[in-house]
Amino acid sequence: MSTAVRGKLPWPLKMSYDKQDTLLKLFVLSIAAVLSFSTRLFSVLRFESVIHEFDPYFNYRTTRFLTEEGFYSFHNWFDDRAWYPLGRIIGGTIYPGLMVTSATLYHVLHFFNITIDIRNVCVFLAPLFSSLTTLVTYHLTKELKDVSSGLVAAAMIAAVPGYISRSVAGSYDNEGIAIFCMLLTYLLWIKAVKTGSLFWGAMCALAYFYMVSSWGGYVFLINLIPLHVLALMATGRFSHRIYVAYSAVYSLGTLLSMQISFVGFQPVQSSEHMAALGVFGLCQIHSFIDYLRAKLSKEYFEILFRTMALFVGTAVTGVGAVLMASGKIAPWTGRFYSLLDPSYAKNNIPIIASVSEHQPTTWSSFYFDLQMLVFMFPVGLYYCFCRLTDANIFIVIYGITSIYFAGVMVRLMLVLAPVMCILSGIGVSGILSTYMKNLDISKVQKKTKKTENYPIKNEVASVVIMMMSLFLITYTFHCTWVTSEAYSSPSIVLSARGGDGSRIIFDDFREAYYWLRHNTPEDAKVMSWWDYGYQITAMANRTILVDNNTWNNTHISRVGQAMASSEEHAYEIMRELDVNYVLVIFGGLTGYSSDDINKFLWMVRIGGSTEKGEHIKEHDYYTPAGEFRVDREGSPTLLNCLMYKMCYYRFGSVYTEGGKPTGYDRVRNAEIGNKDFELDVLEEAYTTEHWLVRIYKVKDLENRGI
Amino acid sequence: MADCRKIFSTFACLSVVFFLLVVDSPALGVKKKEEDDEEFEWVTNEQRNFPYPSQNALGDKVQQLMEWSSKRPVIRMNGDKFRQYVRAAPRNYSVILMLTALQPQRQCTVCRQANDEFQIVANSWRYSPSFSNKLFFASVDYDEGADVFSTLKLNSAPSFMHFPGKGKPKKGDTFDIQRTGFAAESIAKWINERTDVHIRVFRPPNYSGSIALGLLFTLIGGLLYLRRNNLEFLYNKTSWGIGALCIVFAMTSGQMWNHIRGPPYAHKNPQTGQVHYIHGSSQAQFIAETHIVILLHAAVTFGMVLLHETAVSKGDVGKRRIVTLVGLGIVAFFFSLLLSIFKSKYHGYPYSFLIK
Repeated sequence: MSTAVRGKLPWPLKMSYDKQDTLLKLFVLSIAAVLSFSTRLFSVLRFESVIHEFDPYFNYRTTRFLTEEGFYSFHNWFDDRAWYPLGRIIGGTIYPGLMVTSATLYHVLHFFNITIDIRNVCVFLAPLFSSLTTLVTYHLTKELKDVSSGLVAAAMIAAVPGYISRSVAGSYDNEGIAIFCMLLTYLLWIKAVKTGSLFWGAMCALAYFYMVSSWGGYVFLINLIPLHVLALMATGRFSHRIYVAYSAVYSLGTLLSMQISFVGFQPVQSSEHMAALGVFGLCQIHSFIDYLRAKLSKEYFEILFRTMALFVGTAVTGVGAVLMASGKIAPWTGRFYSLLDPSYAKNNIPIIASVSEHQPTTWSSFYFDLQMLVFMFPVGLYYCFCRLTDANIFIVIYGITSIYFAGVMVRLMLVLAPVMCILSGIGVSGILSTYMKNLDISKVQKKTKKTENYPIKNEVASVVIMMMSLFLITYTFHCTWVTSEAYSSPSIVLSARGGDGSRIIFDDFREAYYWLRHNTPEDAKVMSWWDYGYQITAMANRTILVDNNTWNNTHISRVGQAMASSEEHAYEIMRELDVNYVLVIFGGLTGYSSDDINKFLWMVRIGGSTEKGEHIKEHDYYTPAGEFRVDREGSPTLLNCLMYKMCYYRFGSVYTEGGKPTGYDRVRNAEIGNKDFELDVLEEAYTTEHWLVRIYKVKDLENRGI
Repeated sequence: MADCRKIFSTFACLSVVFFLLVVDSPALGVKKKEEDDEEFEWVTNEQRNFPYPSQNALGDKVQQLMEWSSKRPVIRMNGDKFRQYVRAAPRNYSVILMLTALQPQRQCTVCRQANDEFQIVANSWRYSPSFSNKLFFASVDYDEGADVFSTLKLNSAPSFMHFPGKGKPKKGDTFDIQRTGFAAESIAKWINERTDVHIRVFRPPNYSGSIALGLLFTLIGGLLYLRRNNLEFLYNKTSWGIGALCIVFAMTSGQMWNHIRGPPYAHKNPQTGQVHYIHGSSQAQFIAETHIVILLHAAVTFGMVLLHETAVSKGDVGKRRIVTLVGLGIVAFFFSLLLSIFKSKYHGYPYSFLIK
């Protein structure tokens, strides 16, 4: 194109093709990054900038402590606000990466006099890191295939629901930054494998250190990289590059990871890390053999190799047999089978079967979280198998292992989502770039080329491209719909549709927590069921008895006993535990179904599961027909227990629904059975606007009678 | 699992035969004990006049039960047997009864697990040295004895009940599954509480994992040995690629869910007789459904690969065009089919394509 022609073009086209190319790439990437940030803001726009759910509140509280008190007091922090009177050591029992990241961000911003509240840093950290993830994904895919695949993959990961589910604004949890760290480690590992340079290896070890500091899922990573090395050895692709890369990553990474006090000596002791150590040893042996082979003549090498193999083989078998006989190692235990057969864990470890996050994944939740990636992923896999390289083998292994884990456990969809995007990006861009070439843009070329191609080539290509665009558009719509419908409710502020279709906001939780904060003495002890522990300590800043870190069953059981006992008995327990206030969640007025009455049976079960609570029997709380009812036919034990009285105090005189009598519970759909009663040992301290949270004060001992 | 249970039971049977040969016939022992109990409990004027029929009725019952339980540790009962042997009065033995619904169409996975545990307890009792005619294990399936459920006023399965030797079951004679679970150990503990019979639970060691593993290794080893002259096939990308794709399709269609949860193949509506292959909710799925989905996924992927292959290959122009169009059609059709199935599971899902 001559300069004269170029003069007439608009300004972007005036630049050389290289510059245009770069500009376009930058443009696509920045849009993807902005999209990934903004699509996670549904909950902030609908409600406000709040932290979601339960665990994030703990993270938020620790972050605030870190920014206020500094790293050393954070590291040595013994928390006396939780698990009263036991307390909890926090510094040594958490992964500090998340808190350190937000504290650093906070201090950097304040250094530049941008005064942003720490809560807002926490709320927007996950979206920020997901836009960084899109950039890392682009670079990783670029290393694996080419630039165009990288762009498609970056655009896809910006909106994939499987990743959004854990990284919406306000969901301030480890996973939010861990996926970024994981992909960064992979990117640097691929760089190290490709270049064989110590620099990239060391960088990879640093990224690995960041990953270890932020999420327990690093174990997946430290097994995946050795597996890659092993696969490269098996396919005869082992070289000095890989030797340098792996040795650097393993030795530096292990040393660094041991600096996290929660990880400690696990990298050299626990069996999850042994694969990495084994492959490290194998690397040394492999390169030693290569060295010998280069130095010795073929016959001598053969002799040496055979004797060595025989010697080492017998030695290993002998030592193994001795250790196994003496019971030092037991390789055929349950842990081993649970790797091979996932239903083993379900049958033999009940706690795994009971937790909803440990459920296996149905096909529809795969589709719900990944949409078209589900079938574009195999296409990308096909492309990778067509042209295998060192880096491609890595992504194939990552894909296969993570899809297996995601199938076993639904929460591991999070680990699968990035590789789905990368491989689908490769697949989509493969199809698009093949057919884009067939698409004739200028009329001039069409006439000259038409003779050598088939007649309606252009039309076919257009249809294919149109269909792919349609798929990508449906993908976008699907992702936005899923994000908006399923993953954007903060669960601390509730919303419901009113009769006229308007949105009603229930902000009772925060109302109650702030009431506690401002109206109770600073050292007051609040008793509630463990679900609300993190929120009370974080928002009300009061001491609680049990929280979401359910490490002490007997203590939780004691609280359950208090809730399930009659008033007199509960008073003894509450005096013993020094309780000043009791907080219950009650949904009967609004129809909020996950309230304490619905959780009550768990309190009874857990309360009755220890020695002190033997008098609490679950069947006492059922009707003779075995039903759990709160109305007139309910069991008298239930109608007179502390939890019932606290939830339904004064409720008997309230009209809730038209055409129904007073005291009609809208969750259980029943008129309550015990309406007119007074509390002896408690007095009502506060009830929120919609009665969602009710707080009671424990009365002092009475003055001695005359 | 099934194999090893079979092995265990044959082994157990052999040991029982041996036991019977060594100890003299247990029937004699039974009679002696009965006589003691008879006098204690059933001596009334009427029975003094006709002592033999009653005694014989009880004796026959016990003998019959012993015979059954030597064949099978858990006696399967229907309504008649239940009334005759468990409910009817002349009785000096305890019966632990499991009420369950094991028929596949009942879809009661808990029942199956509970049944396994119950079998373990019953086996442990049957082959324990203290085995006697004081305690029998029996089970009633809902489909064989629905009347038993109605007489006991039960509307859920599985449940365990203890029928003591004297009198009617009391409150504690119904095992509380909700609280204690149904592990064999807790069942045995409960039995101990109710009947004073101590059963040491003996779980058959599970060798199936080791056997499967050994089999796998020998298979691979054998294959390698057979092909030892030409190990090139190990480096064949295509087979590895096909293997990888199989894993991916299996996982994305939820085979792992099926493996862990064990859903039925399809659901037949008992009223209309219509067979549903797609589960109506997004929380669950049928085996048939995953097979359909696996096909759909594979078809869309195949269509995509077809599109790519024809574009880069150098073949006959006309043929390539047709293949491209076929690929396009496959992709569009199967994608919209997938979408419509998904829509039927997720109520309120707003998008569809070609097919409603």
